[in-house]
Amino acid sequence: MKIEGKVVRVFPSDTNTDEIIAGKYKYDELDLNKLARHTFESLDTHFYDDCTRLKAPILVAGANFGCGSSREQAPQVLKACGISCVIADSFARIFYRNGFNIGLPLVECESISNNVTRGEMLNVDFDRGVIRSENRNAEYRFKPIPQFMQELLEKGGLMQYLDARGGFTD
Amino acid sequence: MKTISEKILSKRSGVDAASGDIVTVPVDLVFAHDGTLPLSIQELGGHSVKFPKSVVAFCDHASPSPSEKVSNVQALMRQFAHAYRLDFYENGDGICHQIVLERYASPYKIIVGGDSHTCTHGALGAFATGMGSTDVASIMAYGKTWFKVPETVHVKVSGKLPKSVHSKDVFLELLSRITADGATYKALEFYGDTVEAMSVESRATLSNMAIEAGAKVGMCAADEKVEAYLGHYGRSNEFTPLSADKDAIYVQEVRIRAETIVPMIAKPHKVDNVVPVTELEGQEVDQVCIGSCTNGRIEDLRAAARILDGHRSKARLVIYPASRDVLLEALKERVLETLLKAGASIGPPGCGFCIGRTVALGDGEVALSTQNRNFKGRMGNDTSFIYLSSPSTAAASAIEGKITDPRGLES
Repeated sequence: MKIEGKVVRVFPSDTNTDEIIAGKYKYDELDLNKLARHTFESLDTHFYDDCTRLKAPILVAGANFGCGSSREQAPQVLKACGISCVIADSFARIFYRNGFNIGLPLVECESISNNVTRGEMLNVDFDRGVIRSENRNAEYRFKPIPQFMQELLEKGGLMQYLDARGGFTD
Repeated sequence: MKTISEKILSKRSGVDAASGDIVTVPVDLVFAHDGTLPLSIQELGGHSVKFPKSVVAFCDHASPSPSEKVSNVQALMRQFAHAYRLDFYENGDGICHQIVLERYASPYKIIVGGDSHTCTHGALGAFATGMGSTDVASIMAYGKTWFKVPETVHVKVSGKLPKSVHSKDVFLELLSRITADGATYKALEFYGDTVEAMSVESRATLSNMAIEAGAKVGMCAADEKVEAYLGHYGRSNEFTPLSADKDAIYVQEVRIRAETIVPMIAKPHKVDNVVPVTELEGQEVDQVCIGSCTNGRIEDLRAAARILDGHRSKARLVIYPASRDVLLEALKERVLETLLKAGASIGPPGCGFCIGRTVALGDGEVALSTQNRNFKGRMGNDTSFIYLSSPSTAAASAIEGKITDPRGLES
């Protein structure tokens, strides 16, 4: 699997799921495309619009991205904004699991938030575990994603994956 | 030579599991609330619920419903719960985690909640963790889930806590040392004579906050206090002793001396932005909030009442008991009377102020709360400021509307 896109934003460490999508909205709205308009609203009011102008925008963040609440609306709204992939120095556990469960590719790459900037074009090669920046002629390596998790992405998420296999294998 | 997590996951998977292994286990209890269940119902799609007796639903977050839209979402949950005859807890019954502690959690159980603070139930020896709505849906459909067996951080707290210093202060101290991602993907286990001396309710505060350090679970040993707690709720038969093996392997050890802990406070907008209360004394607060799944239990309300007795709060004082049982007990003990006379507005049992959907701060306002998170916008306003503390510090600060050290103020 390969993804090519421009970095739409670089967010700092400990960016939490309340910041991704505020609690005050999520109890009212089941339509994720409508909810997505409020993505990162408290940090950056142009996030949604900027995402819609890009083809396959990539979100970059520091350590512990997606910490806090278990709300799956957080990765869901990022997906609904058109985010093709999130690359972070590290992820919080529940967010990481949620991302793959809904088919949003997540890449853990140490120090990536110090190495790339907004607007930069990146190529992400999941099989080789390499992120390539054409602008800088630089490559950043990450530990390839386990086969099982790549399959989750290919199937579109956990429910689709389990349905295809008839449930959990012991 | 196993940690508590390794013991539970080995027993329940039938595989001799060590940290790093992936195991599949049956899930004894899966629950979700009005912030997460609706999405699980959507994800469930054409599947039916495989084991309805192990699924519980709660209306606790935006509760009682503040709007037509929320009411319609909650109606969808009610229909779903009714169709499968699930245990369903209504607006006003209380916070999911408090009700799970009182009625469902026990040693060796595997519990998954569609809420990050599901780790609370480690206080009763359950391997309990929060997941998202799709994981919850998959468990409803298939009755199982997978875990990577976590490495464990051993936290040992020794000695006697000073008066007006509580388990909340202990955890904030720990958080200041290991930071908000200090235990990511790992388990925390709490030991030491300080933890042994704590009530199950106090331990639940430690376990509840485990996720604030990124942990998967926050485990305490299941001892005679757990047995007595289960007995109080008519569940003695669910007790099994549980602790780690003496030669269990830990990835890290943290030692804390209880005598040295002082009242602590987390400043906006990060949970690990922790300083002693004395550094902030005199800082004005508009609203003091006591409650939440972290500190909304009867001993928390008692601690607040001991300090507020005979005073009239200058700050707006908002108190949400964690469950109907907690509220009834506060009524019986006349704790409620003390709090009301101190100027408190008492909310219905539930999440209330903590998530900003039914109670919100004004622009630039400052809140001091006993909850677990102080993220920007958490209490419904992006321009407000949230400080986190124990119930004693919150109560002491309410009196003059300024951050106040609670030591020496207890009657």
